[in-house]
Amino acid sequence: MASVNYKEQLAALVDSMLREGFLDEQFTQLQELQDETSPGFVEEVIAMFCGDTGTVFNEIETVMNQAVIDFQNVDPLVHRLKGSCCTVGAPKMKLACVQYRQFRDANDRQGCLSAVNLIKDEYNILRNKFETMLNLERMIQAGGTNKPNGK
Amino acid sequence: MAMQKPAVAPGFDVAGGYGSCKVEEAVAPDRFPAGLRVLVVDDDVTCLRILEQMLQKCLYRVTICCRAAKALSLLRERKGGFDVVISDVHMPDMDGFKLLEHVGLEMDLPVIMMSADGSTTAVMKGIKHGACDYLIKPVRMEELKNIWQHVLRKKWNENKEMENSSSLEDPEHKRRTTDEAEYASSVNDGTDGTWKPQKKKRDAKEEDDGELDSDDPAASKKPRVVWSVELHQQFVNAVNQLGIDKAVPKRILELMNVPGLTRENVASHLQQFHNNVQKFRLYLKRLSGVTQPSSFCAPLESNAKVGPLGRLDLQALAATGQIPPQTLAALHAELMRRPSDSLVLPAMDHQVLLQASAKGPKCIPFDHDVVAGQSVLKCQSNTSKQFPQSSISFESMSSGLMGWSSSHPGMSGCANNIEGVNNIQNSNILAQMLQQQQQQQPFPLLSEPHHAINVQPSCLVFPSQSVGRTSVCSESTNLNSSNMVVGYNHPSSQSNSISMVGRQVSDEELKADGVLNSYSMPGSIPSVFQNPPVNFGPSTRMPGLAPNMCTPSYGTKTGTLPEHAVGRNLGFVGKGTCIPSRFAVDDIESSTNDVRQRSTCTFDDAEVVKQELNLDFLDDIKTGNPVLPHFPQSGFTGVLSK
Repeated sequence: MASVNYKEQLAALVDSMLREGFLDEQFTQLQELQDETSPGFVEEVIAMFCGDTGTVFNEIETVMNQAVIDFQNVDPLVHRLKGSCCTVGAPKMKLACVQYRQFRDANDRQGCLSAVNLIKDEYNILRNKFETMLNLERMIQAGGTNKPNGK
Repeated sequence: MAMQKPAVAPGFDVAGGYGSCKVEEAVAPDRFPAGLRVLVVDDDVTCLRILEQMLQKCLYRVTICCRAAKALSLLRERKGGFDVVISDVHMPDMDGFKLLEHVGLEMDLPVIMMSADGSTTAVMKGIKHGACDYLIKPVRMEELKNIWQHVLRKKWNENKEMENSSSLEDPEHKRRTTDEAEYASSVNDGTDGTWKPQKKKRDAKEEDDGELDSDDPAASKKPRVVWSVELHQQFVNAVNQLGIDKAVPKRILELMNVPGLTRENVASHLQQFHNNVQKFRLYLKRLSGVTQPSSFCAPLESNAKVGPLGRLDLQALAATGQIPPQTLAALHAELMRRPSDSLVLPAMDHQVLLQASAKGPKCIPFDHDVVAGQSVLKCQSNTSKQFPQSSISFESMSSGLMGWSSSHPGMSGCANNIEGVNNIQNSNILAQMLQQQQQQQPFPLLSEPHHAINVQPSCLVFPSQSVGRTSVCSESTNLNSSNMVVGYNHPSSQSNSISMVGRQVSDEELKADGVLNSYSMPGSIPSVFQNPPVNFGPSTRMPGLAPNMCTPSYGTKTGTLPEHAVGRNLGFVGKGTCIPSRFAVDDIESSTNDVRQRSTCTFDDAEVVKQELNLDFLDDIKTGNPVLPHFPQSGFTGVLSK
């Protein structure tokens, strides 16, 4: 059995995400919030974020699938996403939300449409990485005493 | 930070609007502000969880809630169970501002808004609605660590109000205030000492001319602003000129053109202003729902406590008998600017008139006109040049009322004209109504007995007008020749606008600036760390938290907090933004013991009502009843926005 050091993998993943701008210092703060009393805090937050965002996107889908998209209905949803992703520390996704706002202010429907798609794309990328993180985290937690660095 | 135990009389309640915590139940001073009870409201569960974790790291006691309605019911159920509320702005079930309004008015808790929207307009809106802070997502730990200052400030301010209301009557209170001051000092000393309570000399009789004051540099390097009557008058004028909706600090500052005054000073003052307006509106709203004429009338005469303020009034009122229901209706109608047939006060008027006419020379000539309110208006127009169009009538009202009460001659002197007296009487009636109401039933707003709002015998004005007011009233000895202009004041045209104008005129005749002259904004005290110790709930160490968890950074932060706080206070901290208000005491930042300061700040609801009243009128609100029916969703803005 390979001495898979999940922790190292996880650390590397987070590092790359930070470097590439998928995560920012806000996420680092979240990591710092994790401690002995809340050992699964980051995992919990990521899971909540993914679940919650998925729900919001469903609502966005509903609006976007209308014959005539009423972006006024999209606004609060994107705003909500913006709040979530920036609190979690996901700057790329947040930037996409900001762009949406800019297109909205400019009354650029096409721009809004593309921005929404961008938000979704960014979220998908992020979610994939998060899922990997969660898996690694679970492996780490499940590693038990077998792992030299495991818990 | 090590602090000594507060030397406060046991059982003394540090009123904090909502909190009923006793000092001794508060978080142990040396662990302050650990144990701060925070309620977080956000429909975003991810944010909620993160905030919860952060706040717990700050050793606060956190309750999270994802629905505004649920949060409100939680707050109502657990009165006194929270110290501060943090709420998101955009929530599906209720607008965050609405929640802010409710919380501010019903529980009088500090509310911190937060949002991913950090645009200036959004932040401004939050401030306008009375938020004591506005956090922009992502919220950082450092920001959350600072929230306790809002709680402290609010509690201290309200405590001062309470102290003010009773201090003059009871030396015990003074002692307690002193104790609290000491505690506050010790608290402050516990930090790096950068924010000691501003123990400025407080002289109730002292009139401040609005000069910038920079004593106690230890607390803050910035000059403190004492919002004197004159300064506040200028502020009000500027606000009126700009229109409430457009009255942003920068423009106000420009209009005021006071050397040395900063935009920050104005901003914080404006915030207080808005706060009071909101409260006022709510008060009025509730007031309109209370229509027990007898209850209003009855106590009036039996209220011996009214003291100097009420003396003359009582005489007048006694002469006229109970205040007829029509009076109340009339008053309400006037306030609502609704045409009312019953505006003319009945019997009472005559008596009052008679007395009034007996008096002095210095009177603002009132037009003989029909409705009392309208007559006042006319009066206003006549003296418009003298009276600045201050929208903040509450102040004038309070001051006027005080003047009224404290100066017998003033009362009579005020009115050459029957109408004038009527108007004055109206004001008195209102004040007394408020007073009575307060005495009879706690303000709905301030249901908590410990609430700072306290109807004191002295001033007509409002609950928070405490003894301090009385003293001030007596201070204004010049009231002899002062003219109380109580009535309606509308800056522009007096046709329909009615505002209460109370003015404490000094020896000079008809001090034109009257209206708002007297007292500045009923805002709260600027100083962050004024006396009364803050009571938090019993502190409980978060189980399991590593003791040093956030201490280091926290400690550091604490050290820097005062400065930060000062900076953020925009003139509040240590800055005498507190308006002397009724007491003609300008010294706001004064020491912890300064009753005045507290009183200044706390116009509490009655004053707020007045304030709102005036503002509404000034803005010439469209409808007939701007205030009550229109209780705006958006706080202050709502008032004006008809």
